[in-house]
Amino acid sequence: MGQYVIRRLIQMIPLMIGISIIMFALIQAAPGGPEAMFLESGRFIDPTIIESYRHRLGLDQPVYIQYFRWLGAALTGDFGVSFSTSRSVSEMILERLPATLELMLTAFIFATIIAIPLGIFSAVHQYSTLDYLGTSFSFLGIAMPVFWFGLILQLIFCVKLGWLPTSGRVTVGDASIIDQIEHLILPATVLSFLYIAGWSRYMRSSLLSVIRKEFMLTARSKGLQERDVIWIHGVKNALIPVVSVMALDLAGLFSGAVITETIFAWPGIGRLFIQSTYSRDYPLMMGILMMGSFMVLFFNLIADMVYAWLDPRIRYS
Amino acid sequence: MKTKKILLLVYVLTVLAMLVAACAPAATPAPTEPPAVETEAPVVATEPPAAETEAPVEATEPPAAETEAPAPEKKVVQVAYSAEIDILNALTSQNLTDPEVTMVEGLIISNDKNEYIPVLAKEIPTYENGGIVKRDDGKIEMTWNLQQGVKWHDGEEFTAEDVCFTWKFIVSEGSEVYNRDEYLNIEDCQVVDPYTVKFVWTVPYAPYNTLFEAILPEHVLGNLTTAEILTYDPYNRSPLGTGPFKFAEWKSGEYIRVVKNPDYWRGPEYPKVDEVVFNFIPDNNTRLNAMKSGEYTVGIGFQPNQVKDLQAIEGYDASLIDSNAFLHFGTSILSERGKKLFSDPKVRQAMYYAIDREAIARDLMEDTVTLADTPINPLSPYYNPDTLVYNFDPEKSKQLLDEAGWAPGPDGIRVKDGERLSFTMLNRAGRNDRIAIAQVIQAQLKDVGIEVNMETKESAAWTEQWRSGDWEAMVGGWFLTADPSVTNLYACDGGNNMTGYCDPALDEVMKASDQALDFKDRKPLIDQVQALLAETAFDLPLYFNVLPTSFSQKLQNFKGSGTNLGSFWNVYEWDLLP
Repeated sequence: MGQYVIRRLIQMIPLMIGISIIMFALIQAAPGGPEAMFLESGRFIDPTIIESYRHRLGLDQPVYIQYFRWLGAALTGDFGVSFSTSRSVSEMILERLPATLELMLTAFIFATIIAIPLGIFSAVHQYSTLDYLGTSFSFLGIAMPVFWFGLILQLIFCVKLGWLPTSGRVTVGDASIIDQIEHLILPATVLSFLYIAGWSRYMRSSLLSVIRKEFMLTARSKGLQERDVIWIHGVKNALIPVVSVMALDLAGLFSGAVITETIFAWPGIGRLFIQSTYSRDYPLMMGILMMGSFMVLFFNLIADMVYAWLDPRIRYS
Repeated sequence: MKTKKILLLVYVLTVLAMLVAACAPAATPAPTEPPAVETEAPVVATEPPAAETEAPVEATEPPAAETEAPAPEKKVVQVAYSAEIDILNALTSQNLTDPEVTMVEGLIISNDKNEYIPVLAKEIPTYENGGIVKRDDGKIEMTWNLQQGVKWHDGEEFTAEDVCFTWKFIVSEGSEVYNRDEYLNIEDCQVVDPYTVKFVWTVPYAPYNTLFEAILPEHVLGNLTTAEILTYDPYNRSPLGTGPFKFAEWKSGEYIRVVKNPDYWRGPEYPKVDEVVFNFIPDNNTRLNAMKSGEYTVGIGFQPNQVKDLQAIEGYDASLIDSNAFLHFGTSILSERGKKLFSDPKVRQAMYYAIDREAIARDLMEDTVTLADTPINPLSPYYNPDTLVYNFDPEKSKQLLDEAGWAPGPDGIRVKDGERLSFTMLNRAGRNDRIAIAQVIQAQLKDVGIEVNMETKESAAWTEQWRSGDWEAMVGGWFLTADPSVTNLYACDGGNNMTGYCDPALDEVMKASDQALDFKDRKPLIDQVQALLAETAFDLPLYFNVLPTSFSQKLQNFKGSGTNLGSFWNVYEWDLLP
């Protein structure tokens, strides 16, 4: 197992380089460049500054030279400086990480607690009222646009009832935990709603297919209680596909949630990314994309390891 | 059930741990909101026991709050601001930025009446007050008398050296100051004495008031090269100015907070409020909800279609700031198709007569906007009310097209020499107001036999294509200064003229107007510029955008300005009623 993990980690290096080439090429291939931001404000601008801006950032060099410069620095852990703020990309990402994790982990944990039992219940009591309810709830969650749901919650809880703040992460000047939790509730709810909707469906269908397997019959016929049959034999096996889905979503934790963060003005990485895309802040885009890609690879590895634990037939060597 | 409980405990603990970690730097307390928490039954109910395990942190917090408690209630202006800005250097930022106006001052600023008023200068130099002198060699000497006793936020005195340093930085190679070209005619900056600075201009430059809206501190940046200043984080993130407020903190993605400068040069009574916080709320609808919830004092950056909602908020006033941002329907003859179709002014005029600008203002902008007959806002003293106006007249439009040789073809679209009168409008994704206008124009032009196709591009891609001139038509917009010069936009070699239109006669008048330093000399020239612009039909100004702004009725002295320097120009006299 240990060897397997090391091998997988080593395999990641060429993979990451390959990903970086594709990302870099795609980013550069998109029409428009960072100089577009100068014209965003609608003021008259001196056209000559655009050339000196491009020159200072090295954008007048051929793309492959820009790439190798970027790669050379990235290999030493230096992801460059942002075009728009001149600040270190790593610093900009790291300062957004706590807020991102706070929101995403809360939503993730909350969603896990609800989605898995909901899926199990729906599967065990297939076609019961609660199953139908759960199913409708899931479809609602999947079909409802996040921005709409977020705005509705704001209207109810912030505007009408005045219980919660509409947006942001803290009330400036109020350092209390209560204040922070109040700010967290709505975005976390919106985000977990999405996860719950998806995951509970996966859990339900996965468990439904496991329940019909022969080993379940065997477990029952050797006299196990129905609860143990479901939980020990059923759920554990049914979790495998769910874990893959969740692992991919878990990787997304670090990239943040673009729409939810924008709606609730949450200072996460998702918003940083969308901002960097609009302003064609190439180094910042690369930094966030690289981190996101690494997380996907990393959590896939974790998922593979969890399979081995869930299903003893899976062995890595 | 057991697993559920464990998971719940893990969840609560994790959230708490993160929150505690996240709130480490205790900020100044503000009146806490009533405990709305009771309603959050499931999560919060389990919290108190879990919180006890975090004893050390909990214990350190209450005293911090107590020590500040005796202070009188702070007056904090909470601004619901739109998107986050890049940097706080007003000269090199790519954004129009309000936060630095609270901290950094310039020689001048523009007010709510579209006038320039002196800030760090005692008065604006003119011929009449002797501030401007024409030398025998034709050069211009412009003398600025500066306010005395002005201190930078670190206690150093502000002097003429700072002004000359700012000029040196701006004109230095590669300074990337957005309007660097406008400074290049200043040949020299002389420190006459610490409170007097003299610019030597090679040519007279009438829009001189658009310059020096921010002065940089020489004692902080003086030892840095131009390239270093551009990327100098300490200034970019926490600028040192002379303004009514000092920089306090900038939380990325969250807010910028500035606090009262107790030594402000206008006197101890200013500024009247203790803090201004710019909260970044990028989504327009969220910002509207935020205003409705009453959490903020001022909200800016709204859309015209939100005006009715803003007006309905109790305890708040909605102000429709008439701005110098004018929208226009433009064409380019740098593209192959554009050249074929639009080189004939009759075709352009025919299009303008076919566009019902009043309907656009009424139906799309809910009658909140002022129609633009020229690029200069009627608020400006330079506005010329007697120009040719393209009032909606489809019959005249058809007649002009007939005269130009474009006859209706079999499908109703006009044809000339086998060429259909059909072109593509380049739209910019996300600018929904402009796309809506483009759609109305598309429908209206169809009525006179002109076909408009639509193409929408993402903003950076749009900008690139616009800059290349290789486009046919679009609805664009410009945010003008309080100065009426539009040379940059319409001159043959204008830096922002991406259309290929060029009229030597117009050029001559524009350039003359840019050299007329006196209002009474300049006004007739600017009048003529506006008249010629309408006659040449280079583009069709549609309307001046309003900047819907919401502010609490407790806020005093808010005077929204529609110029590029924004509504914070008099922030030092804002006050909050209890």
